[in-house]
Amino acid sequence: MRAGLFWKGQLPAVLLNVCGAAALSLFLLACGVAAGTVALIAGVWGAVLALWLGCRFVLQKRRLDALLALAEGLDERYLLPEVLPPPVTAEEEVCRRLMRMAEKSMLETIGSARRERTEYKEYIEQWVHEVKTPITAMKLLCENHRAPLTRELLAELERVTRCTEQALYYARSEHTEQDYLIRETSLAAVVHAAVAGSKYLLRQHQVAVTVEEMPGTVCTDGKWVQFILGQLIANAVKYRGPQPALRFAAARADGAVTLTVEDNGRGIPAADLPRVFEKGFTGENGRAVPGSTGLGLYLCKRLCDKLGIGIRVQSRQGQGASVSLVFAGNDYVAGVRG
Amino acid sequence: MPYKILIVEDDPAIRAQLQILLSGAGYEAGAVTDFGRAAEQFRSYAPHLVLLDIQLPGAGGFELCSRIRAVSDVPIVFVTGSSADMDELNSILLGGDAFITKPYNPAILLARVAALLRRAYPAADGGEVLRWNGAALHLERSQIEYQGRRADLTKNELKILYYLFKHAGAICPRADIVDFLWDNQLYIDDNALSVHVARIREKLAGIGLEGFIKTRHRQGYTL
Repeated sequence: MRAGLFWKGQLPAVLLNVCGAAALSLFLLACGVAAGTVALIAGVWGAVLALWLGCRFVLQKRRLDALLALAEGLDERYLLPEVLPPPVTAEEEVCRRLMRMAEKSMLETIGSARRERTEYKEYIEQWVHEVKTPITAMKLLCENHRAPLTRELLAELERVTRCTEQALYYARSEHTEQDYLIRETSLAAVVHAAVAGSKYLLRQHQVAVTVEEMPGTVCTDGKWVQFILGQLIANAVKYRGPQPALRFAAARADGAVTLTVEDNGRGIPAADLPRVFEKGFTGENGRAVPGSTGLGLYLCKRLCDKLGIGIRVQSRQGQGASVSLVFAGNDYVAGVRG
Repeated sequence: MPYKILIVEDDPAIRAQLQILLSGAGYEAGAVTDFGRAAEQFRSYAPHLVLLDIQLPGAGGFELCSRIRAVSDVPIVFVTGSSADMDELNSILLGGDAFITKPYNPAILLARVAALLRRAYPAADGGEVLRWNGAALHLERSQIEYQGRRADLTKNELKILYYLFKHAGAICPRADIVDFLWDNQLYIDDNALSVHVARIREKLAGIGLEGFIKTRHRQGYTL
């Protein structure tokens, strides 16, 4: 509470008292009361008033500061009216009612927005689910009729798959609830599955793929990591150099496993490097290469954050880029097993 | 006798193509057409493995799975477009042996099917052996044998020879071989394939198998 405002609010009462005291003093003087006695009466009046106002100031300040502290400590502050102490004055009571009304309409708005979001997310999930059926049918058709033409088609189908998955994971990354299932996952299996998912794209652009020896397992959701790797592979192909190569390597250190995806493409300029995870940021490479959305790495970062995976990008312009995924140690699993 | 696989899938295009794919891989593939009587059809067809979609008209895949599990232990592969974790958990709890999400890689589907069949029905003689023109390819030992002489093969050479033996007599286009190798985690290009084949030919010549792998110009290799 600000002291200045408080005293301003007390001004009418103070003025009234001053007028009252002055009128009484004049009346007493007119009645022939000694000036000393009048001064004493006026002094006592003033002292009582000052004491009363002082107490009021201290008490009110204490109460209002407590309210502010209460609001500060609240996570969802729009719920404040629910936790306020009962009103003691008429103004407080009206104030409380106004807050309640605002809160109610706020909650309704939030509720309907949340419901709409959830419905939209469910629709996206369902749509992705639906579209997978024709994609699968087309893949099988191509597989059963192998020819140069169907290989081209399969490469395009991989792209369609990547785009639909991106829509699915985008919807998931925006949502706060957990959609993943953490369990012990073989890193090699995830990497090979990701390469298999971009097989025709990689072969179309004659990318030399190397998968180094992978150390055992990590605790994570394999499908999410596979999607992230798919995005990284697509980036490596998009920003490839003259003789593209892609290398997957993993190392275990201090219980954490680092998976590195390294390409020899055009690399990222140092000026752009700090911003690669920003949504919609395409940078210098984005202007040079068609099809940059500024979404891939942003999504990778968001998914990694949700899964508790560290993600780092290192690059020198013209010398390729390497993205590292750091999986924290699976201590809690070891702990449960004893 | 080929293994019998029952396809339970409501999309007609996928069903037809899966049947072609599985027949091409040497299986006998049947498909459920009347989903109301899927369990009866399962009993009368008596397959060695079931490919089961989760979202089906009528009772649905989970229901069918528990009805199959009540009478049989055949491997069940769930194939679904949903990548929801709840579905995966359910499929494990109900006794499904594998969970594959659409759009799957057909080669990976075939590999999973083959692995499950191998595990469920172990071969009596311990280790598959492929034979062609007097040469025997021992998969477990990673060796090729001809008239009592043997040569050790690397993992990659074994993969190439496996493909050629599987398609013995036919011309194998180079691109198809590379496709197969990529599906089996060997990421090589056309030139590297030539190098590998040259090395295999050297090994084969060492045990008296000269001209075993023939090159068909502009077409591919054949045994």
